[in-house]
Parts: sequence; C-alpha cells; structure tokens
Amino acid sequence: MNAVLKKVNSVFMSLVAAVFLSPIVLMILTSFKPEAEVLNPASVVPKHWTLANYQYLLGWSEEAPFGRWLLNSFFIATSVTLLVVLFSSMAAFAITRLRVPGGNFVLGIIVASMMVPGQLFLVPLYLMLSRLHWLDTPAALIIPATAGGFGVFMLSQFMRAIPEAIEEAALIDGCTPMGLYLNVSLPLCAPALATLGIFTFVGSWNDFLGPLVFMDSVRNYTLPVGIALYQSSYYTEYGLTLATSVLATSPLVLVFMAFQRQIVESMSSTGLKD
Amino acid sequence: MTYTQRRSAAGLFFLAPYAFSFIAFILLPIIVSLCLSVMQFDMTAPHSVKFVGAHNYQEAWKDDYFWQALRATFGYVVLMVPGLIVTALGMALGLHGMARGRNTVRALLFLPGMLNVAVTGILWQWFYNGEFGLFNFVLKHLGLNAAPWLSEKSYAMPSIVIMSLWWSLGGTSIVLLAALQQIPKQIFEAALLDGATGPALLNRITLPLLRPVLLFVVVTNTIAGFQVFGQPFLLTRGGPELSTRGLVQYIYETAFNNYRLGYGAAMSWMLFAIVAVFALVQYSFLRRSTS
Repeated sequence: MNAVLKKVNSVFMSLVAAVFLSPIVLMILTSFKPEAEVLNPASVVPKHWTLANYQYLLGWSEEAPFGRWLLNSFFIATSVTLLVVLFSSMAAFAITRLRVPGGNFVLGIIVASMMVPGQLFLVPLYLMLSRLHWLDTPAALIIPATAGGFGVFMLSQFMRAIPEAIEEAALIDGCTPMGLYLNVSLPLCAPALATLGIFTFVGSWNDFLGPLVFMDSVRNYTLPVGIALYQSSYYTEYGLTLATSVLATSPLVLVFMAFQRQIVESMSSTGLKD
Repeated sequence: MTYTQRRSAAGLFFLAPYAFSFIAFILLPIIVSLCLSVMQFDMTAPHSVKFVGAHNYQEAWKDDYFWQALRATFGYVVLMVPGLIVTALGMALGLHGMARGRNTVRALLFLPGMLNVAVTGILWQWFYNGEFGLFNFVLKHLGLNAAPWLSEKSYAMPSIVIMSLWWSLGGTSIVLLAALQQIPKQIFEAALLDGATGPALLNRITLPLLRPVLLFVVVTNTIAGFQVFGQPFLLTRGGPELSTRGLVQYIYETAFNNYRLGYGAAMSWMLFAIVAVFALVQYSFLRRSTS
C-alpha cells in the first residue's frame, strides 16, 4: 500500500515538474519558429526551424540595441556584485573580528533597515540621483545598490563562527588586520561569499523598477527594461519577443545550472534561522 | 598605540566604505522621503515647493484612486499568499515523499524563479493574449470558448496570480521542504506506532512543527505581495479599468509620470505603515498560536 502511494506521488511530482518546465521549453522552441507558425502552431516543435528572429535581434538597431542592453546588464550586475561582496565583507570583518567600538549597535541598525521596503527609497533616491547628475548613468544602479544590509548581516553570522584560536595564531605569527582579512577571514568564508555573490548578481540582473525609473535613454536601459518596453511596441511579434526572452534568460540559466546546489541549499536555510 | 587601539583604528578603516554607502543611500533617503512627504514638491513646478504638513496624507485619504489601488493590492495579496502557501506546502510534502529524483524535481520547480519579471510577463502575455494567445488557441481547438484572460475584471487578477504562482512557487517550496527534512523521523514513527493516520499526522505533528517556518513564509510573502509591481504592470498595465493597478504602480505613476514627488513619498509611507501593521498582526497571531 505504502509503496503504491510512493509510486503515485513520484509520478505526480514528475508531472508537476514537467508542467513547470513546459512554459520555458515552449519559449525556447517557439523562438525558432517563423512568425506564421507562432500564431498558428501546428506542433510544439517547429516545422521550419529558423534563426531569423535571432539574426534580427543581434543586428544593431537604434530603437532596440539589444547587444548594448546585454552589455549594460552585464556591466551593472558585475560591478554591483563585486562592490557588494567587497564592502559587505569588509564591514562584517570590522564588526565581528576587529570588534570596532559600537559594532553590534551598528549591526542592529543595519538589520533594522532591512525591514524598510524597497519601494520607499524610490522617490527620494530619484531626487538625490538627479541632484548628483547620476540619472541615466550606470552609477545610479551601481552605487546605491551597495548599501543593502543583507550581505553584512549574513557574512557577520559566518565570520562570528570562525574560532578565535585561528585568529590568535595568525596574530602571534605577526599578521596585520589586512593580512587577517585577506588570508584568514575571506578564505574561510568562501562559500558564504559565493552565495552572496550569486544572489546579488541575480537580483541586480533581474531588477526591474530601478532601471525603469532611473534610466532615460533607450541605449542606457538594462535588458529587462529594454525588452519589456521593446515588447510593448512590437507586441504581437511573439517570435521576436520570445527570442529576446531566451537571450535575456540564458545567462541566468547557465548560472543556475553551474551553482544549482549552492543556490538551492542557501534558499533552504533562509527560513530556518529563527 | 596599544594593540586594541590599533585594531579599532583598522576596524574603522574596514567599516568606512560600507558605512558611507549606508548613510548616503539608506539613512539619507529615509530622511529625504519623510521630508518630501510633508511638502508640495512637483518636479514640473520647482518654484512652488513648500511645506504643507499632513496635506499629502489627507489627500490620499480622500483620493478614490488611492483606495482603488489599495483594493487591487489587497486583491492580489488575498489570492496570492494563501494560494502560494497551500500549493508550496503540497509541493514540499510531495518532494519529501519522493525516494528518487527529488533534487531534480526541486531544481525544475525553482527554475522559473530565475527568469526575470519582464521575461515572465512577456511569456505569459503570449499565453493569455485574447486573439493570438496560446491558451485561447488550445481552448478553441478543444471546441471551448475563448476566455478573456486579461481583458475582463473578474479574470485579470486571478490570471496575474496564476503567473506569479508559477514564477515563485519553487522558492517557497524549497524553504518548506528544508523545514520538513529537519523533523526527526522518530516522531513520525512513534505516532504511526500509536495508530495515527495521514490527516492526523499532518494536523497534529507536521503542521505544528512547521509553524515557525510557516510564520516566516507567510509574513515575508505578505510583505512582498503588498509591494507587487512588475507582474500587473507588464501583463495589464494595471487594467482593465485600473482594476489591477496596485499601490506601488500608483506611486510610480504619481511620482514619475506626473512628477508629484511629495505625494508619491507620502503614499509610500502609508503603504509602509499598512505592511508593518499586517506583518505585526500576523506575527503576534501566529506566535500566540504556537505556544
């Protein structure tokens, strides 16, 4: 009886997984179809495979500079990731290992600030960035993104767990604070740094409201905003818009496949802290 | 200098870059936002900037669009949060019961969450489109009537919620699965020996033990639900007849299409207050029922 139930459950869950995957498979297959076949699909798999949609997209065009958006997204997401990992790890190191005076109070304020929802920052940031003349430049999406508290909070938890004996041994050997940071704390926190890096990259890559509000000219858009606005003007050419979606998604799917275990494991632990 | 003094000095050096960014882009915007919310501040009329006290807040109270946006936001939260928790719990229980292939299914459930909201919106707009959409194409082939997925009020919000479920179910399922896996097997074995059956196991053992995690998932998803923007913005632009325009979209349009930054900031604070009240109520309610 129990074995039968287990079997039924496995079959059911596999079906669910197939249903969840099917929109993505449809998106990829349909992006290789000619337009006529998109609107009147005779089969799931294209009858006539074509690269026309991709050729059109990767060709440079002034109203939809797809390659430029891709570069913008890469540049912004990479810069945000590097700066967040650097600043957060330095701050967490100062608070937990160098025990800077008032550090725990500072950490408390940082954690409290994580409760304030992101949309609250939109209006004041817009005003501040316009005063700084940063609107419509990558700085508007990079520099404010380094202020988020999640990285400092997470890395502090990790660095606190490093045994003090290791630190004392390094100090006796004449290690400076900089040496302690570079040679002891960072290597021991490598998995946490990787997790923070992945989450930051994905978050920045997928950010929609930020670039929508802070970027003005078409060539400065990031990929999500670019394709969303592009799509609203070409909205029934689904072959084309699905091809843009495939191109926008593939870098992240590659990241996901490379770090699948790490991403899923750290998702799992988010709910278990208290 | 003693070692402790040197360590403190180094600590300030290491803390400085983040601290500067935090003060400039977290603390300062909060103060600026508070100031803006009590000012008349129109980007189109820079000379009419002045202090107006609680006027922006009073205006929202009397603004029919504000209430309409609040109703739409509630509509989303009321459908999305229970729907997400129940389906994610079902998925987590299903995954937990799998002997083989669990990690593959878990990864596939999570995969849609890696797509960005624009891609998700484009994909589902193709599914939902009234004339050219995939769903109506299939319905017509089966000899059924086409459905007004996004063009009729009673359909639009449920359609948005279905897409959102597909997009975010995996993450919540993974969190619940991890919690399930932490429950010691012996507890279930003891209950089975005492003659407990499926529903009783779920009610008396699984759900009570999952309560802390369920609390976390309910509160975080409620907070996220109140801030919904991308999904309705991309699928319906808030239509039909503004029935799916949530508060964040109304704030966005007030501040960045009509350039009324003061009013936009005031509404942001009102949304924050509503979210905080809901989170606190849920938190204390669920906490009490735990003990």
